[in-house]
Amino acid sequence: MNEAMNKVATGPVKGAGQVVLQVNGVTKQIGQKKIVDRLSFDIQQGEIVGLLGPNGAGKTTTIRMIVGLIRMSEGDVLIKGESIKRNFAKAISHVGGIIENPEFYPYMTGYDNLKQYQRMTKGITEERIAEVVKLVGLQDAMKKRVKAYSLGMRQRLGIAQALLHNPSILILDEPTNGLDPAGIREMRDYLKRIAREEGIAILVSSHLLTEMELMCSRVIVIQEGKLVTVRTLGESTVTENKTEQVQVMLRVNDAEQAKLRLVRMEEIRVMGMAPERDQITISVRDSYIPRMIDTLRNEGIAIYRIEELKESLEDEFLKWTGGNRSA
Amino acid sequence: MHKLIFNEWLKLFKKRSFFISYLVMMVVIGGAAYFMKILAGGEKFAMRDFVFLGLSPSGFGALTALLVMISTAGAVSKEFSQGTIKLLLIRAQSRSKILLSKYIVIFLYTVSLMLTSFVVSFIAGSLAFGAGTPSASWLDVGKVALSTLVYIEIFATITFMLGVLTRSTGITVGITMLLIMMKDMTVALLSKYAFTKYLIFTNVDLSIYAGGGSPLPGMTLGFSLAVIAAYMVLFLLLSFVTFKKRDVA
Ligand SMILES: Nc1ncnc2c1ncn2[C@@H]1O[C@H](COP(=O)(O)OP(=O)(O)OP(=O)(O)O)[C@@H](O)[C@H]1O
Ligand SMILES: [Mg+2]
Repeated sequence: MNEAMNKVATGPVKGAGQVVLQVNGVTKQIGQKKIVDRLSFDIQQGEIVGLLGPNGAGKTTTIRMIVGLIRMSEGDVLIKGESIKRNFAKAISHVGGIIENPEFYPYMTGYDNLKQYQRMTKGITEERIAEVVKLVGLQDAMKKRVKAYSLGMRQRLGIAQALLHNPSILILDEPTNGLDPAGIREMRDYLKRIAREEGIAILVSSHLLTEMELMCSRVIVIQEGKLVTVRTLGESTVTENKTEQVQVMLRVNDAEQAKLRLVRMEEIRVMGMAPERDQITISVRDSYIPRMIDTLRNEGIAIYRIEELKESLEDEFLKWTGGNRSA
Repeated sequence: MHKLIFNEWLKLFKKRSFFISYLVMMVVIGGAAYFMKILAGGEKFAMRDFVFLGLSPSGFGALTALLVMISTAGAVSKEFSQGTIKLLLIRAQSRSKILLSKYIVIFLYTVSLMLTSFVVSFIAGSLAFGAGTPSASWLDVGKVALSTLVYIEIFATITFMLGVLTRSTGITVGITMLLIMMKDMTVALLSKYAFTKYLIFTNVDLSIYAGGGSPLPGMTLGFSLAVIAAYMVLFLLLSFVTFKKRDVA
């Protein structure tokens, strides 16, 4: 099942298709409890992938295992083919990470903090520091102590820190946690831009599907440490099949009259009606819709709207993760 | 490795409180020289004796020890409480190297504080008492300085280990202070038992040997050094193994 899902195309990105991160049967057991249970997935270059799950699903635990902050009980993580278990330094050198809130040395300036990480990795030049600082727009704040930074600024410094060593994959745990709507949007734009311009893969965790929808090409849904489903976002919701039943909402000048006519057509099932809003909901085959419109017009019924009622991804997500467990 | 050490040094240095420890050192030693001069009046006291006092574990060496403990307690635990440990450990560096660089910086910090107390007590002593006729030779001063360095490093290592094990600066400082306060009493209470000479506390103050004595009858400098070495290896092993294996959650 996984293999098929991993073959999903990710758009025209340089080097796309090359697997950057491989999570192979990773398990974390504490006591008798398996917090993460034989989780496997792959991420390819240039992809933005969401790791989605309700609170306590094991997202943070998974991410911490990927970056080697906690040990896995079973399985392995390969980053560009290097095992994080057996060859930590090599594997981690391809990874940039923000684990939960990015925390810095508050009494140092933003620049001093970045210098700390520069000294820990070979080959990061002053120019590279300037470049990432510019990318996240913190040029004017570099001489300020991090203590004086807003949360949004710290998040951006977090991204700068993660990008310093030109990683192949960025791994972010709830990067928009605590940000206001403008900050969330800004963060999203940065991430998309980074994926596009630097051609690197991004794995972001979140418990908010709506947020994932806006930036990820794929979501990996987990619950209670287990893989629930892997979904490609965007195209998957388009109805490809002309014979498939769809639900549409019609707004007409007279819902009662429309209903009387529609129930006589055997291709159509009336699902519901809201006469006070002149709305009527029906289930019909895609290919039958033009005929239905003609019929209504011939009856002298005026049509103001025809909208498809899609089951929202949110509903689907709740279904995958067992309804009200999140929130 | 030298870059990691430089990083750790900067973590101390960039703190506003960094200079305060040197300032405290100057004020306390300088003040002591001043008061000893006006209070002890006629009594003859020489600069070199004052330097000896400045470096001995029962003199201002205790202050140096205290300042080192406070910094050491936070070296590892602050990374956890600030949350910076997460960004520190996801670099292409082994955890052992990171911990080792912290340990080395604590040693360098100790040496820098001892040099400061030497310089300050030298200057203050010269101003207050002049060369005079000291009872301590420069060799005595050297010996006492060395034994203080060992004394401080033992306690720093214990503090360092506690910081790794507890990840809490408060608990670490608390336990260390308790140990320092209780060590003499413990040794005194247990002195009649044979195993007492194998306790680390019995062996921490090597300056006793310089005066021709020994902490307990029958103990020698070589014996104490061996016991100290064994404990240090144990403490460091515990610290490094724990730090390497620890899940950072
Ligand atoms: N050290 C631990 N010991 C025991 N249980 C733990 C430990 N760490 C995490 N857990 C449990 O493992 C589960 C997964 O936790 P995790 O933090 O990975 O979830 P999450 O998906 O990141 O949740 P959130 O959305 O709230 O951040 C939780 O039920 C948590 O209580
Ligand atoms: Mg989490």
